[in-house]
Amino acid sequence: MSTAHEAHGHHYTTTGLDNRKIAIWAFIGSECMLFASLISTYLIYKGKSVVGPYPHQAWTDPSTGRVFAPILNIPITSASTFVLLMSSLAMVLALSAVENKGKPMPPGSGWWDKALTSSKLWLWITCLLGAGFLGFQAYEFTSFVHEGLTIRTNLFGSSFFTLTGFHGAHVTAGVIWLGTLLAIDHKRGLMPSDTLAVDLAALYWHFVDVVWIAIFTLLYLIPD
Amino acid sequence: MALATVLILFALAACSGSYPNSTFQPTTDFNRDLTSLWDKMMFWGTIVFVIVEAILIYAIIKYRRRPGTPEPRHVHGNTLMEITWTLAPALILVFIAVPTVRTIFKTQAEAPASALQIEVIGHQWWWEFRYPEYGMTTANELYLPIGRTVNFALRSADVLHSFWIPALGGKRDLITNRTNYLWFTPDSTGEAAFNGSCNEFCGLSHANMKFRVFTVSPADFESWATHQKGNAVYPAASAASAASVQPVSNAASAQTAIAATTQPPAPAAAAVSPGFVFPREKVPPHVMPTTPIPPTVRIADAVIAAGDAERGLATYSRSACIGCHKIRGNPSSLGIIGPDLTHIGSRFTIGSGLFPNDAKHLAHWIKNARAMKPGSLMQTLGKGEHDPIMNSTVTMGGLTDPQIADIVAYLQTLK
Amino acid sequence: MATVAASPTYTSSAGTPRSVLMDWLSTTDHKKIGVLYLHTSLFFFVFGGLEAILMRWQLMKPNNTVLTAEQFNQLFTMHGTTMVFLAIMPLSAAFFNYLIPLQIGARDVAFPRLNAFSYWVYLLGGIFITMPIFFWLAPDGGWFGYAPLSGRSYSPGPNMDFWVLGLQILGISSLAAGFNFVTTVINLRAPGMNMMRMPMFTWMSFVTQFLIILAFPVITIALVFLQFDRFFGTTFYAMSAGADPLLWQHLFWIFGHPEVYILVLPAFGLVSEVLPTNSKKPLFGYPVMAYSGILIGFLGFGVWAHHMFSVGLGPIADTVFSLTTMLIAIPTGVKIFNWIFTMWGGSIRFTTAMKFAIGLIAMFTIGGISGISHASPPSDLQQTDTYYIVAHFHYVLFGGAIMGIFAGIYHYFPKMYGRLMNERMGSWHFWLTLIAMNLTFFPMHFAGMLGMPRRIYTYDAGQGWELFNMLSTIGSFLLAPATLLFLYNFFTSKKRGEQCGPNPWDAPTLEWSIPSPPPEYNFAKIPMVSSRYPLWDLTHPERTSEIPHTQTGWTEAEMQTGEYDMTPMHVETETRTAKELGIPMPSSTIKPLFVALGIVLMFSGLLFMPKGMHVPAFVLMGGGAAMWIGFLYAWLTTPLEEHH
Repeated sequence: MSTAHEAHGHHYTTTGLDNRKIAIWAFIGSECMLFASLISTYLIYKGKSVVGPYPHQAWTDPSTGRVFAPILNIPITSASTFVLLMSSLAMVLALSAVENKGKPMPPGSGWWDKALTSSKLWLWITCLLGAGFLGFQAYEFTSFVHEGLTIRTNLFGSSFFTLTGFHGAHVTAGVIWLGTLLAIDHKRGLMPSDTLAVDLAALYWHFVDVVWIAIFTLLYLIPD
Repeated sequence: MALATVLILFALAACSGSYPNSTFQPTTDFNRDLTSLWDKMMFWGTIVFVIVEAILIYAIIKYRRRPGTPEPRHVHGNTLMEITWTLAPALILVFIAVPTVRTIFKTQAEAPASALQIEVIGHQWWWEFRYPEYGMTTANELYLPIGRTVNFALRSADVLHSFWIPALGGKRDLITNRTNYLWFTPDSTGEAAFNGSCNEFCGLSHANMKFRVFTVSPADFESWATHQKGNAVYPAASAASAASVQPVSNAASAQTAIAATTQPPAPAAAAVSPGFVFPREKVPPHVMPTTPIPPTVRIADAVIAAGDAERGLATYSRSACIGCHKIRGNPSSLGIIGPDLTHIGSRFTIGSGLFPNDAKHLAHWIKNARAMKPGSLMQTLGKGEHDPIMNSTVTMGGLTDPQIADIVAYLQTLK
Repeated sequence: MATVAASPTYTSSAGTPRSVLMDWLSTTDHKKIGVLYLHTSLFFFVFGGLEAILMRWQLMKPNNTVLTAEQFNQLFTMHGTTMVFLAIMPLSAAFFNYLIPLQIGARDVAFPRLNAFSYWVYLLGGIFITMPIFFWLAPDGGWFGYAPLSGRSYSPGPNMDFWVLGLQILGISSLAAGFNFVTTVINLRAPGMNMMRMPMFTWMSFVTQFLIILAFPVITIALVFLQFDRFFGTTFYAMSAGADPLLWQHLFWIFGHPEVYILVLPAFGLVSEVLPTNSKKPLFGYPVMAYSGILIGFLGFGVWAHHMFSVGLGPIADTVFSLTTMLIAIPTGVKIFNWIFTMWGGSIRFTTAMKFAIGLIAMFTIGGISGISHASPPSDLQQTDTYYIVAHFHYVLFGGAIMGIFAGIYHYFPKMYGRLMNERMGSWHFWLTLIAMNLTFFPMHFAGMLGMPRRIYTYDAGQGWELFNMLSTIGSFLLAPATLLFLYNFFTSKKRGEQCGPNPWDAPTLEWSIPSPPPEYNFAKIPMVSSRYPLWDLTHPERTSEIPHTQTGWTEAEMQTGEYDMTPMHVETETRTAKELGIPMPSSTIKPLFVALGIVLMFSGLLFMPKGMHVPAFVLMGGGAAMWIGFLYAWLTTPLEEHH
C-alpha cells in the first residue's frame, strides 16, 4: 500500500495548494455576500429617505428653510478611487518583487528595473495609498457631518455610512495586514518562500478594491 | 390506518360546530378557493404518503436480516428508476402548481370597485376598523353585509400584525409603512359570528389581540352602520329632545348594568332607537371570551350595581379616559390613542376580544387594565391598584370603585 | 462483526484533574473538539427541550396561568434560538469535527486552532445568550426577531440586546468553522479520494459549509443594522424615518431558509452512512444523492420569500417563490426514494441507529408533504403563523434533523469511545421518541387548521383546540423520559458499554479502518483511497463489484496479493504515539479560548451602553478588544506544530 504522506516535509494537500489559499477564497466568497447585503440595502433605501440631505439632489428643510446641497462629492471621491486603484497596482508589483527576489538582474537594467525588485518600496506605496484612501474617507465623513448628514439622519445616512464604513474598516484591516508584512520585510526581508503570505494579502487587497469599484459606481456615479 | 383517521377527523373538523374556527368552511369565495387547493394537495399528498410509507414498511419487513439471509445483491443504482422518481413528483407538482398559480392571480387581483371598503389598523394590541363609506370608526368588532364583497385595506400603527378570520379565508399581514389588501365575499355564511386573531407576533399581548366578525343581512348592516356613524346616543347628550324620558332611561341603564353582571349586554334601552345589533341569542358560545379575571383585581358586585350613568358621564369627562378615547358627542372625549368608544355599549367584548363586555368585566378592566391584559397601554386607573408596568401604586388621580361603577354605567348606555 | 478488543492503551487518560482540564481547554484535536461540541450541544438540546416542556405545560388547557405572557414569549424565543443555533447546528458540528477528517483520511482539520476557536466562541456565545433566561430577561421578540418589534422603540429592555449580540457572536463561530471545513474537504482528502468517492456524510457537510459561509454574512448584516439601530440610533428599521420592515424579513430569510438546510443536510448525510452499512448494500444512486444535495443547497437560496407569502409581495413574486419551493421538493423526494431503495433487497439489521434512520425517512416524508401544502401561497394563507406550521417544521427538524443526529450518535458512539451503546435502552429510546414525537406534533396540524395561531401564550376555551393541545402536551411530557433514557445510556455506556473493535458495524468507510477510539493522529499512514467503500473492497469485494470505478487505482495483482492492507497497519501502530511515529501534530494551545473570551467580553460591553453606564461599557469593550487582539497576535506568531 502506498503512502502519499511521509512524516516530514510539507503537509500533503489534495489540490497541492496551501490551505490558506483555499480558505481566503472561501472567505472572499463569504465577504461577497456581506457586501451584497450592504449594497442591496443601500439600493433598496435609495430615494426612500423622509428627510434630507440627499446624495444627488438638493433639499430644503421645510422647518428651518435651510438648503442642503447634494451631498456626494464626486470629484473628491473619484480621486480617492484612483488612489485605491493605484494601490492595487502597487500591490501587484510588491507581490511580483517578492516572487522574483534574488533572481539575477539582466544586464542593462535601469533604475526602474531595480525599483521593481524592491518589495519594501511597493509595500510602502500600497500601504500609503491605502492610508491615503482612508484619509479621503475621513475627510468625506467629517465634511458630511458638518453639512448635516450623520448615520442617524435618515435612511440614506444610515445605509451610506454603514456601507462605506464597513468598506473603510476592510481597508483599515488591509493596511494593518500589509503593515505586518512590511515589518517582516524590514526585519528579515520577504523572500520568494514568503510569496504565499503576500499573495493572501494581495488577494484580499484586490477584493477590497473591487468592492470599492462596485460601491463607487452604484453609489456615486449612478444618480437616482 | 392512521391516515384514514386523519382524513375523517379533518372531514369532521370541516363542518362540525365544535371546531368554530375551522379553516375548511365554505363561507366565502376566497375560502372555497383555498379549500379546493387544499383538497388537491391532500389528494396528492395522501397518495405520496401512502406510496412512500408503504414501500418503506414493505422494504423493512421484507428485507430484514434473518438467520441464513444470503449476502444481498449489490445494486448501486438504477438510472431508469431514479429518473422515474424524479419525474413522478415533478408531474404531481404540475398538478398542484397550475391551480396554485391560477388561485394566486385570482385572489390577489384588485377587488371589484363595488366592494365595501374597510380600513384595518393594527395597534399593540387591538384593532381599529374604519368604514370610510360611512365615515365611521369602531374597534375590535366588524360587521359585514352578507353577499357584498368586502375589501380590507390593512395598515399598522406600530409593529407588524396579521389579520386573520380563519373561518372566512386566509390571512394578510399588516406592515408598517405599507398598505396591504385582502378581499372576499361572505356569501354563504348566513347571519353568523366569527372569531379573528392577530397572527404575526406583535409583542407581549400578541395572544390577546383578537376580534369578532358578524355577517349580517345588507339591511341590518345598513341599520348598524348608520347608527354607528351617529354620535353617542347618551340620553343626556340629546337632552333637548329626550328630556322627559331621561330618568326612565337612566333607571333602565342602571338596571341593565345590574343585569349585565350576570349576563352579557342586551340591546339598547327602549327609550332611544338604536341601530341593528347582532342578536344576543344568536351569538355562539365561542364568540364570548372565557378569560378569567385575575384574582388580584377586585371590585364588589354591589358597588358595580350602584353605578349611576349621570355621575359616570361627569366623572368620565374629567378622568384620564378622555386623553386616549373618543366618544363622538361627548365634547371632552377626543383622544385618538385608544379604541373609539362612541358605541361601546353595542359591542360584545372588551380588551380586543379578551373579556365579555358586561358591567363586571368593564369595571375590572377600568380598575386595572394592565393586570387584566399584559402590557396594555391603558393605564391602571383604580386608586390603590398596583400598576405592573410602572411598578407603582396608583394614588393621585386614581378612580375609586364607585367612580368606576359610575363610568361603567355611563359607558353601558352608549349603545 | 463486533469484534471485541481491548481498548487501545492510549485511551487511558491518566493525569491530575488539573492537567485533564488543561488538556481539554487547550486541545486542538478535532476529535476532542468534536466531543466538546457533542456534550455542549446535548446540554443545550436538553435545555431547549425543557423550555418547550414549560410552554406545553402552559398550553395544556385554555386560560392557563403556569406562565406569564412575558415568560412564555421569552421561552418560545429561546426555544427556537436554542434549538437552531445552540443544539442542532452544533450537534451537526460535533459530527463535522469528529467525522470529516476521519472520513477523508486526514490527520486533522485544515486549521486546528481556528477549530478550537470556533468551539470556544460557540460555548461562550451560548452561555451569553442563555444566561438571561435565569433572570427572566431573555430575548422575547421571537427567534426571527422581526423589525420593528425587535427595535429599541418596541423592545426597550436588554432582552433583545442579548439576542442581537448573542447571534453575532455565534455567527463568528459558524463562519470560522465554515471556512475551516470547506478548506478541509477541498484540500485534505487522502490521495485517491476524489469528490465522487467521498462518504455521503462528508458530501452533505461540504454542501452545508457552503450554505453557512454564504448565508451567515447576510444575517450578520441584518443584525449589524439592528445592533446599530438599538445602540447607535441609526434608522434601518426606524418606521418614522420611512424604513421598510420587509428589509429585515428579506435579509433574515435569505439567511433563514438556507439555515433550514444547514440544519437538515448533515442529518441526511448521517443517515446515508447508517442505511447502507446496516443494509449491507452500497448507497443507492450515490451520484444522484450527491447532486440532489447540491441542488437542495443551491435552490435553498432561491426560496426565502415562501416565509413571506402573507406579507403581500404581489402575485408575481408569490408565483416565482412558490414554484422554486415546489422544485426543491424534487431533489428531496429523490433522496427519500434512494434511501428506501438502499434498503430494498438488502439485509437489514435493526440497530438503534438504523431505527432512527428509518424513522427519519418516515417522519421527514410527513414534513415534506405538509411543506408542499404551504408552498402554495394561497393555501399558505390559511397555514402560515398557525400551529400547522409548527407541526410541519417539527416533523422536518425533529423528525428529520434530530432523528438523523440520534442515528449518528448511536452509530458513531463506538468509534468515539470504543464501546457500544446499550441497544435495549436504545430501542426503548427510539420507540418512545417516535410515539411521543408524533403525539406531540401531529395534533398540531389539527390545531393549526382549526384556527390556532402560533406564539400565543394563552387561548380561549371553546375554540375547538383543547383536545389537540392536551395531546401535544402529553406527547412532550413523554419526550422528556425518552431523552433522559438516552442520556443515561450515553453516559453509562461510555464507561460500561460493551467494548468493540475498529469496525463493529462492518461499515465501509475509512473512519472504520482505524481503532476505536482513534489515535490522536488518526491514520499512522495516510491511506490511498481507490473506492467509495474501501473497507468493503477489502472484506466484501462483491458488495462493491457493480460500482464502475471502484477498481480504479487497484490492480488485480494488488487485490490478490493483499497489498492494500489498511486495517492491519493501524492495529500494529495503535499503541504508539504521534511522537514515536514522528507525525507532527498541532500543539495544544489555550490562545483560541482567550481570543474567544475577549470577543465575547467586547460584545458584552455594549450591553451597558443603553443604560448610560459608559465606564463598564468602555472597560469591557476596550479590555475585550485588547484581549482578543493580543492573544490573536500571540496565536498567529506561534507555529502550529512543535518541531521534533
